[in-house]
Amino acid sequence: MALYKSYSKNEKGRQYFRTGWIMLLLTILAIVTLFPIYYMIMSSFGAPVESGASSYSLLVKNPTLESYQFFFDYSKYSFRWIVNSFLVAGVSTLANVIFATAAGYAFSKLRFKGNKLLFSLLLLAMMIPYQVTQVPLYILIVNVLRMDNTYAALIAPGLVTAYNVFLAKQFIGSLPTEIMEAAKMEGCSQPALLIRIVMPLSKTVMAVMAINTFMNNWNTFFWPLLVTKTENMQTIQVGLKNFSFANTTYFAPMMAGATVSALPMFILFFALQKYFLEGVTVGAVKG
Amino acid sequence: MMQLKKVFTLLIVTVLAVGSLAGCKKDDGAKGADTNTVTKDNSKEDSSDTGEEELKEDTISVLLPPVTPTYQDNFDKWSKEFHELYPNLTLQIEPTSWEDVTQKLDVQVQAGSPPDIAFVGADSIFKYIDTGLLVDISNTATSEMLADFDENILNYYKKGDGLYGMPAYAEVHGIGGNKEMLEAAGIDWKMVQKEGWTYEEFREAIKAGTVKEGDTVKTYGFVFACSGVTAADYLNIFVRNAGMPDVFNENLKYAYTSKNFLKLLEALRALIDDGSMPKELSSVDAGKRWNMFLTGQTMITGKGLSVFERSAKENNDKIDAGDGSAVEGSIKTEYIILPVPTFFGNPISAAGAVDGYVCFRGKEEPEPQHLKNVAKAMYFLAGGEVSAVTCNDLYISPVCETGRQAMADVEIPEDKNEFNTETAALLVSKISEARPDITPELGAKAQKISDEVIVPKFQALLADEITPQEMYDAVKAAAIDAFGEDGIAVD
Amino acid sequence: MKSKKGPALQKKKRKNTEENRWGYIFILVPLLVFAIFTLYPIMDAFIISFKEFKPLKTEWVGFENYKNTLKNSLFYKSLANTVVYTGITVPLSLALSFLISILIVPLTKRKQNFFKGAYYLPAIASGVALSFVWKWIYDPLPSGLLNRLVALFGVDNQNWLGSSKTAMFSLILMALLSSHGASIIIYIAALLGIDNTYYESADMDGATFFQKLRYIVMPLIKPTTVFLLVTSVIGSFQVFQNAFLMTGGGPDNATTMVGLLIFNKAFKYFEYGEASAQALILTAIIGIFTFIQFKLTGDNVEY
Repeated sequence: MALYKSYSKNEKGRQYFRTGWIMLLLTILAIVTLFPIYYMIMSSFGAPVESGASSYSLLVKNPTLESYQFFFDYSKYSFRWIVNSFLVAGVSTLANVIFATAAGYAFSKLRFKGNKLLFSLLLLAMMIPYQVTQVPLYILIVNVLRMDNTYAALIAPGLVTAYNVFLAKQFIGSLPTEIMEAAKMEGCSQPALLIRIVMPLSKTVMAVMAINTFMNNWNTFFWPLLVTKTENMQTIQVGLKNFSFANTTYFAPMMAGATVSALPMFILFFALQKYFLEGVTVGAVKG
Repeated sequence: MMQLKKVFTLLIVTVLAVGSLAGCKKDDGAKGADTNTVTKDNSKEDSSDTGEEELKEDTISVLLPPVTPTYQDNFDKWSKEFHELYPNLTLQIEPTSWEDVTQKLDVQVQAGSPPDIAFVGADSIFKYIDTGLLVDISNTATSEMLADFDENILNYYKKGDGLYGMPAYAEVHGIGGNKEMLEAAGIDWKMVQKEGWTYEEFREAIKAGTVKEGDTVKTYGFVFACSGVTAADYLNIFVRNAGMPDVFNENLKYAYTSKNFLKLLEALRALIDDGSMPKELSSVDAGKRWNMFLTGQTMITGKGLSVFERSAKENNDKIDAGDGSAVEGSIKTEYIILPVPTFFGNPISAAGAVDGYVCFRGKEEPEPQHLKNVAKAMYFLAGGEVSAVTCNDLYISPVCETGRQAMADVEIPEDKNEFNTETAALLVSKISEARPDITPELGAKAQKISDEVIVPKFQALLADEITPQEMYDAVKAAAIDAFGEDGIAVD
Repeated sequence: MKSKKGPALQKKKRKNTEENRWGYIFILVPLLVFAIFTLYPIMDAFIISFKEFKPLKTEWVGFENYKNTLKNSLFYKSLANTVVYTGITVPLSLALSFLISILIVPLTKRKQNFFKGAYYLPAIASGVALSFVWKWIYDPLPSGLLNRLVALFGVDNQNWLGSSKTAMFSLILMALLSSHGASIIIYIAALLGIDNTYYESADMDGATFFQKLRYIVMPLIKPTTVFLLVTSVIGSFQVFQNAFLMTGGGPDNATTMVGLLIFNKAFKYFEYGEASAQALILTAIIGIFTFIQFKLTGDNVEY
């Protein structure tokens, strides 16, 4: 990357030195950040005992897969929970990426009446603490729309979030307007412009949006807890909490569950990596 | 060309939008179909089974936490048994986790659509009564049902003239010790179990039980889980034995303004200053203190429950197995139930956690017959076999006659410590008297003082950030604020 | 000349109405979702804030709930706690995310992959499970992990979550170490979007690394910084889960945040009206802060 000074061939040593200290710094920070995760994964290989009986130690003495076994045996729905989470997070992610990108484009590049006002309203949506909107929302979904215990109830409120619209708006706003003007000169319609010009240039932010949205939906807990009524409709996060009993928590199986539930996220993250990396540049078009 | 693309684009967007909605709809449909077939099945069964009278079909919804580790496994069985008992009634149990059951119930109550039956502790029903949605069951349950329960325990659900629940069990929250260490410290635990002990005796005992290696403490005499809101448990359990069995005295004056309360705070602080309890007590959580017990870092621990005997045993078995699955650094322990010490010559008054089933109504006026059906379901869950199974899992005895009878058919865990069983029964008989005379309004105010003043200040006291006097003054000020000068106890 | 101007103007007008139309179509879905699932509940909460809310009967109480809130000393204390928490966590977290992103960018793809994964992982794992791990790290006894670590530097044993001196610090440290995954990948996405030609021309002018950072990178990723700043401040003002799981607001309300207070009001005490009033006051405060941030950062969106 050209942000950093590029060294010529006979300065290889200095380049290695620079990469070296960057790596060292990043590694130290990464170790600190990753430690809780390490502990989570490590404890998941412990025996399925109550939390008070779990060992407060850095290494598991006898690694065993029993807790994973326990997790999947605990409820016949363990696997179903993961599928449900996938479905909810998948649909939400798809909807968010499409609708938020379109809206972000509209808010940042299109002139229409009420643009700023509507956007501020949307931002307002983020500012109100969810604790108080929860009950009216619950009344709406469960008592009025009678959607409780359905996928619709799980997905609908998060179909597209203000956060993502804001993110898309900020990114697309920094794309050069000239490209769009040029396309319009050629008679390109707005939808075509969105799909053929804006979206390809926004691949990076769309990937970021996808991973973040998927992750948030995957980890969301309170709302699924409220609107699900049977075990077969629960999501993984709700199911995971079933390991806490009155006075004990099954620690290792809970960690095993947390590890199992983090795994799909991790795979998704690496699957989308190449989009983060490409770093779409508009230079070519502009030039 | 562009026009075509435009149409195409619109098409994609529409398809996606509709697709995502249709996806959900399809599922709705499937679910609807499911429930339909279920009800159909029921009606078929009913028509063949009920010969004697035309009973209206009714479904009773229940929201339940995992009261014991095996509790939720029985839901299908219980629903089936209940349906066989009352063929026109269907029990629809919704399981949820222990930590979240309150939150979920609270949202449902606020929204005006709670389940028919929920599992709620007797000391937290005030706020539900206040919503007007909690049903007084004294007329919907039959007198035979109510006569089955031990009176004092049932009365925990009595507030004013109304009866608001049926107890599933009464569990004494106390303390427990490591047998070997108690004996090493020269404590006659068998006698303590029978006759109790005073604060002075207790203080000496835990001093004797504290083992130091150089400057560091190897074993504390006593550790109580006090992190976060559990600090309230410590105080609530001990304050009863200091002449304040309830937060209101018999004249309905707020009790914690008496001099004894201040003396109690000083006494509890002294245990930390003695070095018999860790000075970091304010952030020891439930898991940590149990780990400390199993690893021999404390002689006595709290809050203690009867079921800990089993947990200790399980770990012993793992140590024996020698496969490394036992808690790291743990030693073999035998859990001994101990009474909480008494203060200033006051009698024992055990802290009974009475949990059970309550009945809710929705926004619409419920039909009388439905409420009667709900009472049947509550009794089914609170009495007889279900109560025996539940209590047995918790290592305690049922609080209703039919439950005790059913206990005969339940497999009692082998080598259960009989001294513990006796002590537990003795302590249950000493559970503080229920206080139906405390009105919901008074109860709610006291709860607020507890949450907003007592718990935070007590945390600070344990962390040695304020003095007992400062805490006492804060509680007194809050009490005067809430109940007036003549609403508080003075001595 | 005149004859030429006419059609051009007309064409522009036509384009504007087209833009108008498509603008609305593009924002239709978010707006609908917003109207149904956010605006409606907010209006409801607004109405409730003037009532004593009970499921069966609600009573109008006028401004009573607002008065009570503004009289409540705990509300101010929790507001102060929230401001302290936000004031420390957000800038530090952003700076840390930016630093890490800048360091990751020059690496080879394989290394980039590795580090992005490493920093993103804590964001993936369930918060509830991680809170158990953090409690273990903050174990108050000398055998506790963090206590053993600080003992190496000669620091006395600390009662991390149990003392009002360290409880807030502990929550902040936890937030700093587990909440920057999303910010990092957003920053990296922004950094990678910067066109190389900018650096090339700067190189030709002989700009140093820090000059490039100051005059190219900072201005170009400003929209991203504004986004992260605004959303982090909003999120931080509403923070609730960590305090709820780790300290319950204690000791002595040293870590009680407004979010926790609202939660307790709404659910512990069933005082939904007052909870709504508190939430709306908080919303107004967040709104003002957001407005100030937009003004200070001068994020004038160019149309």
